[in-house]
Parts: sequence; C-alpha cells; structure tokens
Amino acid sequence: MDEEILQDFLVEASELVENLDGQLADLANSPTDSDLLNAIFRGFHTVKGGAGFLGVTPLIEVCHRAENVFDKIRNGDVEYDDAAADIIVSAFDVISDYLEALKAGERELEDADPALLTALDILWKGKPVAEDPVVETPASDSDLQLAEGVDPDGDMTDEEFEALLSQRDEEPEVAPSGLALADGVDPDGDMTDDEFEALLSQRDGEDDGLSLDVGVDPEGDMTDAEFEALLKEGDGEADIEPAVAEPIKVAPKPVVKPKPTESKADNKPKAMAESTVRVDTKRLDEIMNLVGELVLVRNRLLTLRGSDTEQEELANVVGNLDHVTTDLQNSVMKTRMQPVKKVFGRFPRVVRDLSKKLGKEIELQLEGEETDLDKNLVEALADPLVHLVRNSVDHGVEMPDEREAAGKPRKGIVVLAAQQEGDHILLSITDDGKGMDPNVLRQKAVEKGMMDEMAASQLDDKSAFELIMGAGFSTAEVVSDISGRGVGMDVVKTMITKLNGSIEINSELGKGSQINIRVPLTLAILPTLMVSFGIDSYAIPLTSVQEIFDYDASQTNKIDGQMMVRLREKSIPLLFLSDWLAPDHDYSDLSDHKVIIVAIGNQRAGLVVQQVNGQEEVVIKPLGVMMTHIEGYAGATITGNGSIALILDLPGVIQRFQYL
Amino acid sequence: MEMSVMDNAKPDDTSFLSDEEQEKYSGPSMRCVLFELNSEIYGINVKKIREVLRVGTIRRVEGANPNVLGVINVRGVIVTVVDTRQSYSIQPKIVDDLSRIIIVELDSENIVGMMVDCVLEVKDIPEKQFEPMSSTKEGASRYLQAIAHFQGNVIILIDVDNMFDA
Repeated sequence: MDEEILQDFLVEASELVENLDGQLADLANSPTDSDLLNAIFRGFHTVKGGAGFLGVTPLIEVCHRAENVFDKIRNGDVEYDDAAADIIVSAFDVISDYLEALKAGERELEDADPALLTALDILWKGKPVAEDPVVETPASDSDLQLAEGVDPDGDMTDEEFEALLSQRDEEPEVAPSGLALADGVDPDGDMTDDEFEALLSQRDGEDDGLSLDVGVDPEGDMTDAEFEALLKEGDGEADIEPAVAEPIKVAPKPVVKPKPTESKADNKPKAMAESTVRVDTKRLDEIMNLVGELVLVRNRLLTLRGSDTEQEELANVVGNLDHVTTDLQNSVMKTRMQPVKKVFGRFPRVVRDLSKKLGKEIELQLEGEETDLDKNLVEALADPLVHLVRNSVDHGVEMPDEREAAGKPRKGIVVLAAQQEGDHILLSITDDGKGMDPNVLRQKAVEKGMMDEMAASQLDDKSAFELIMGAGFSTAEVVSDISGRGVGMDVVKTMITKLNGSIEINSELGKGSQINIRVPLTLAILPTLMVSFGIDSYAIPLTSVQEIFDYDASQTNKIDGQMMVRLREKSIPLLFLSDWLAPDHDYSDLSDHKVIIVAIGNQRAGLVVQQVNGQEEVVIKPLGVMMTHIEGYAGATITGNGSIALILDLPGVIQRFQYL
Repeated sequence: MEMSVMDNAKPDDTSFLSDEEQEKYSGPSMRCVLFELNSEIYGINVKKIREVLRVGTIRRVEGANPNVLGVINVRGVIVTVVDTRQSYSIQPKIVDDLSRIIIVELDSENIVGMMVDCVLEVKDIPEKQFEPMSSTKEGASRYLQAIAHFQGNVIILIDVDNMFDA
C-alpha cells in the first residue's frame, strides 16, 4: 500500500466522514431531502473509491453497501426510518473505526461484522428489484447522454448535474450491461466472496473502455505516467464512462491527484477541491505573529505622522497602510475561524444514543450552528459540551411517564444554541426537564461538609446551583456510566475557565435548567487590563476583572495574617503583587496604589498594583525556552510601544500566593 | 549556507604556514562563531546560530531560573536570554557596548539567546584539532563539547543542545 497515498486518503476520508456524521444527523430531521441524500451517497461513494484504490477490502465492503442503501433511499425505494438509521449509523461507526485503525498504523483490517453486512444487504435489497446483485449501482450509465454542447471534461453546473441524475433515475430497469449471474445463483441472496470476486473480474473483463497497455501488471502500483495515460484514455470516451461503476482494479480512483476521472455524476458540481488548501495551523500562527508586528510598525508610523503634518503625501500613504493592515489582521483572524457546527454536529448522535439507552424521548434542537469561532476553541469546547448535554439528557429530562404525569409532553426538548455577543460567544444548553432544587443542593453541601448549615442557608439560589461545579459534588443517587460521578461539572468549569470563559447556571424546579457558557471569540487575542510596577508592565485577563478602586489603608484589616479589604460589607483577601513581582518595592506609601478585584471561579481576590494603565487587546505569545513552567504566567505579549508585558495567569497567581 | 560548503571548508588562509602545519590544518573543518567570556574564547557551530544581536531591553521575569536574564522581543517572538557567565559559574559582568546576544537554534521551533562578553569572528576550525573535554568539574562539562588548540589559542566548543536540554 502506498503510504503517501494512504495518508492523503485518510485526510480526505476523515473529512468526508466528519461531514457524513453531520449529514446523517441532519437526515434524521429531514429524511427526504434529496440534496442531503445525494451528498451522503457521494460521501460513502468517495470513501469507497479511495478504499478501492488502496485495496482496503473490509472498508470497501461496508461503504459499498451503505452507498447502495443510500442509492435506494434517494430513489425513494427505501425509507429512511429509525430501523434504517440504526443500521446506517452502525455502518458509519464501523467505517470511522476502520479509518481510525488505519490512522493508528494498522494495515490489516478485520472483516466487518457479517451481521451488519447482512443487515445492510437486507436494507438495500428489501424491495425486490430486478437488479444485478453486484450492482455497482446501475451499470448502464453509458446510456446517459450529455446535452449537446456540453464539454464532458468541463465542470458541470448544478442544473446539468440534476438533469443527469434525473435522467439516470428515470431508468431504474437497468440493462445489466452484460454482467450475467452464474446459473443457480439467487440474485437476491447473499453472495459468497468467491462469487463476488468472480463477478468483479467478469466486469473488469468487460470494462472495454479502459484497457491496460501490454506488460502492465493490473495489480501493481501504477506509475504516474501510466496513470496519466489511463486518465486520457478515460477522458477520450465521449460519454461519462466510469460514471458510478467502480473500477476497482483496473482504473484506480485518484485520491490525491486532480480528479478528472472522478465519476462526474457523483462529483460535486463545482470544483470545490481546488478552491481550498490545507494549511498547518502553525503556519497561520506565524502569519498572525507577523501581522501583529506589522500592526506595531504601523502604530509607530501613525505616531510619526502625527508630529509632521506637512508631508501630506506621507500621511496619505500611512493612512492607506493603516487600512490595509487592519483588513489583513481581520482576514488572518478569519482564516482561523470555523463554524461551531463542527462541534454541534456530533450531538444528535449523542442524544439519540443516550436517550435510547435511558428509555427517554428527547428531541435535540440546534441553533446558531453557523456561528464562527476560533479553531482551537471549537476543539476545546467539544468535551465540556458533550458533558453538559449528557447531563441534560441524563439528569435534566425526566422519563416520558414522569413527564406525562407532570403535565408535560412525553418528548423532552434539549436546545443547544450558539450566538455571538460582541467579542464573545454565548453557548447555551437548555432543557425542559425537572430543573434543580436549590434546597436539595444546600443540604447536600452541608452533608458533604463543604459548608455549615448557616452558610448554606444564606446562599442565594444561583450560588446554590453553582455548588454543582465544586469538586466531588454529585447529587445523583445512582452513579451511572453516563454521569453522576461528581467529577464532571468540576472538570467542565476548569476547562471553560482555562479558555477565559465563564459559566452560569439557571434553573427552575419543574421547568428545566439552562447552562450558559461565554467564551471569547478567539484564543489568540486576549482583552487585558494593563498594570505596572515602575516600568514593568503586566497584563491581567479582563474577563476576570470585576472592579478597580484606589487603595485605602483605612479600609483594610489584617485577619489571621492575611490582609483583607472591606468592600460592600464583604472582606476580600488582598494580594500584594509586588511581593512577588517587584521584591524591592517600596511599601512606605501605597496611597497611589490601586486594588483590582478579580474573580477566579467562585473565589475573589484583590490584587494591589502600583499603576493601572488601561485596557489593551494583546496577542498571547508563549514565554521562551526554560520559562514555560513558571507558575503565575500565562505567556507574554508585545505592547503598543514594542516592550514586553507578561500576562498573568490568575489561578497560578493565587496558587503562588498561597505558598508565599 | 550549503552544508557541503561548511563541512569541507578549508581553514582560513594557511599559505604562511609550514608544510607541517599545513598538514595539521588540512582535512574537514567546522565553521564556528567565536566569542569571549571572561577572556576565554568559546565557539559554537555556526549551523546552530540564527543571528547575533546587540543588547537591547531585557525584560526580567520574576520566578525564572537564576541563570535566566529575562526575555527579549525578536521580531515578535519572545526569546529567553540566558546569562552564559552564570551558566559556567563565572562571576557576572555589567553589560557594555561589546556585549552581544547570540540567538541559538535548539530546534526548528525553539530559540534561545546567550549573553556573551563580545563576539570575535567566524573561523573554520579543522576537526583534527578538537579533543574531547576531560574536565574535572561535573555538571559544567556536559555543556562543553571539546577544546581546540588553534593558531595559538585555546577554543572551548559549546554543545548547545546539551546546554538547554534541562
């Protein structure tokens, strides 16, 4: 197997499988959408094509059948009902598993579960149709005629494509193009492998359009030249020769190469493949970095221009540079963006499987799937969201009977929504389940020894809900394998905090719960508050900053060796950052110092700094070699004047002060 | 620079040398950047060096290793600067006009700056001249790859990969 081609195939196939995942989810909602059905058909078909080229037989077997099933479904011969969905979804799982195995370096795949193959076979042969069992879908595609004046090699328009499809669909009674079954073979029965092979070779023998040159080993790898030659030969055939028929051995399907032979009828109408390029995110980061530098240079130029108004020409040029740089910066930012659909796509599956397992009836609604956010965020959000959705399904929504008794429809609804709010994304998971009882939570907190009864009774409802995000807090009486171990919400909270995001819980007993997550649009740019000691400046993530006020010694107390500041009837511990950041700082006069109240999780602290310089959006850069492990820093950044500011990592800062 | 050029480069002008010395300096050589620390000459393979910078503002980072001077901004990349003197247990010296920061490439992603007293020149040193270090000092010796006696000088060759492994 050619490693290089295999790797390219894996990249392409993984992408297709990812798309298929989403498309299959969509299909559950609109099982008759013909565009969708065609897309899914093409997806399986293309994966099969690649697998065929590489000779990954078990993968071909499954894709082949899935493709056939979808061919039936899109023709309306088979209905995509729940039973069909189950089979297709498990076939899909098997395909993803195969790809994972190939990625993991396995080269000999086990055959797929015969039960699944049979199930697929039954599905696509469900209604007796006189068709060749091998049916690489109707093999008489050569009957399809192109409209006059159409360049068979040119890209197709949508209309042409549709026309061809319907033309083909009109001819269900396909002449099996010379493929004959051996006597005594039941056309509808399962085939043995031998029979399959025999048919394949029979077909290959018939494949008169494409012939190999003398001396070419049909099983061997092709040279590029041979491949090209075959391509030409194939293109020379006026009609769409390879069409759906799958040349498994003779004319390998190009996986990496430009795809002229890619059966036209199945290809996307527009040459999508050529309009995109895969770029390593590292390279994007580099570009981002350089753009950042360019912005700094521009800023300096802008200051220079300000002092010399006489040179109008120069001013104009700098003005232009200003615009171009801003646009460039935005464009580069956009290249890192991906629709949140990428994460949402997996949830219909999660909810479907889970509700089936639990015997619940749940409908998942997705909103705002097209919202864009940073690629890294998309990936980082996947796990916390899965956890929250599982929680909603497991704990939130009640059993159908219970719901009915409470006067609600049997079917519960879970809504997963995303929307942009300024420079933030708001993600919310809402269910119409039983909601949470703040009193139960208060009581639980006392039982677990997290607080005494007094403190618990003083918690407002919202704070009581937030208790569930504490480590080791679980109210589930029975720990299931789905949720309820009391680690989940804690982990979710930590992950969201790490992304500079916040999490908020609303709930109404009997009506349902809503969890809101706010994360910044991008991880690359961080809004910060710039503070400094002397000339050394530090950046504090703005999301954590609650308020800033002047340091006033009369408002402080020393309690148990810890300085505290009184703020609206509450005492908040003070952390003198200079203890750590400026050891030789002069403490005699702190009158011009400022206190910055920050919130880290449900903890608050007041950071005492010498100077507050205002807000700045910064690009986070890693600290260099030998510095990445230092607690308390999230990285560094270059400020508008070209100097370096260190970005504080607040949880780390707090840790540090606990040991001081 | 082409690898082959470097590896087979001849030592600097040897025409004034006797035949015997010519023989000594022949064969493959390594091109090194030579710099001074406390009046000793050190060398680093030129392949490992990205650039040499004048000393600008170094931002101190509280909590870093004692042998780290801080970080600098090299065209948008934050680079750690190491006090090379401290790494070799040499008493510190105030930065002056001759002080330089040598930017060393550890691998394709990581670079680090080494503060040195001054940078002397780039020289091709015949590999025959290198002899492995037999230092009595544990720890420090793992940074030092070899010493070379060359044109009347002792040159200490630094193994940067080992130096920043930790």
